[in-house]
Amino acid sequence: MIEETLLVQNKHGLHARPAAHLVKIAGKFKSEIKIFKDGLEVNAKSIMGVMMLAAEPGSEVLLQINGPDESDALNQIKELFDKKFYEE
Amino acid sequence: MMPFLLFRSAFLYYISHLMNKSITIRSLLEDNKKRLKLKLICSVNGLNKKIFSGELNRPGLALAGYTGTFTFDRIQILGNTEISYLDGLSKQELHKSVDKFMEFDIPVIVITSENKPPEYLIQAATRRYVPILRTPIQTTEFTHLLGDYLQTCFAPRKSIHGSLVDVYGIGILFTGRSGIGKSEIALDLVERGHRLVADDLVIITRKAEDVLIGSGKENSEHMMEIRGIGLVDIKRMFGIRGVRMQKRVEVRVHLEDWNEDMEYERIGLDDKKCDILGVKIPQVVLPINPGKNITVISETIAMNQILSTYGYHTAKEFNKKLIKEMNEKKISPLAKDRSHLEKDFE
Repeated sequence: MIEETLLVQNKHGLHARPAAHLVKIAGKFKSEIKIFKDGLEVNAKSIMGVMMLAAEPGSEVLLQINGPDESDALNQIKELFDKKFYEE
Repeated sequence: MMPFLLFRSAFLYYISHLMNKSITIRSLLEDNKKRLKLKLICSVNGLNKKIFSGELNRPGLALAGYTGTFTFDRIQILGNTEISYLDGLSKQELHKSVDKFMEFDIPVIVITSENKPPEYLIQAATRRYVPILRTPIQTTEFTHLLGDYLQTCFAPRKSIHGSLVDVYGIGILFTGRSGIGKSEIALDLVERGHRLVADDLVIITRKAEDVLIGSGKENSEHMMEIRGIGLVDIKRMFGIRGVRMQKRVEVRVHLEDWNEDMEYERIGLDDKKCDILGVKIPQVVLPINPGKNITVISETIAMNQILSTYGYHTAKEFNKKLIKEMNEKKISPLAKDRSHLEKDFE
């Protein structure tokens, strides 16, 4: 199991479009992927869950990945956060 | 050189006519006898002539002698102008004008505003088996009314393999490979009180600029084939409330076998469209897998479509709220906690 804290850097936060991106990528992996924020725990493969985090710009979320392809998954999700969900 | 060119253009003309739709003068007359108050003056034996275009022509210039760009294969309308021009000619000039006009293979001549055609025109038309029709209606009004009829006759049309069902007043066209279960979904929807328009073969006609009207073939009579049973008579089985003759096609639902590698819509922020006869309508691609109730999903699609017609776009509205919430959090992280307490009093 690996964990990493990620920073939401895009303009509007984790709204529908970035959430869809995230879910699409998470869905490709076998590992169990969870996101924690403000005491909420959601499955990264569920779009409603990810959107309910309402992770605003500048906030941090904790990513927890557990499974056979966890490091791959972490790299790709990290890249998505770093690239600001390909927005702007 | 000339004969060859003539032959070639005649041949191309023939080919283009073979590929296009046509209506006979007989059906033009029968369909509009009452509405357009049409009367046949001569050439009963020319009623099998056909028109291949929904356009009309006022042959004023052709009668005056200029036949360079004469669109002779259209319906020729002779109004006040043409008739009074012909009436003003000397006998010799009249014969010359009419003879030249009649050299072309004209399908039909319509005389408007209760005008009386010159006797020589009737004689020439009879010789060439060209029907002359007469109406008391004024030219402008007549061209509007006839144009309306012709537009329907020559409207772009296409048949599609699929099922068309009226779900809560929204016409949903189901498409997908043979055997994927289009008919079964349609049957299920009819069972739930919706109305079948056509199954298996849907004829789609484009009306005006952006309206698609779907219907079944005249003789299909709301029959449906269900694998394992055979033919099912929906009208007999469910009564008149389970069927309808035609419906505007508003959404296309394309059914697909579930494919793990395919990415399906998760939010619906961007509306996907498909093109039918040049008209873009919303399209939903639905993967089929066991345990999925496509009927209820179809009802949901219809209701979502109604909402968006009323200006409410679910995904966009939700996203707007979400972004607003996140913006407020950015300003004061405590605000959320307080609002939660306020809501607790309700």
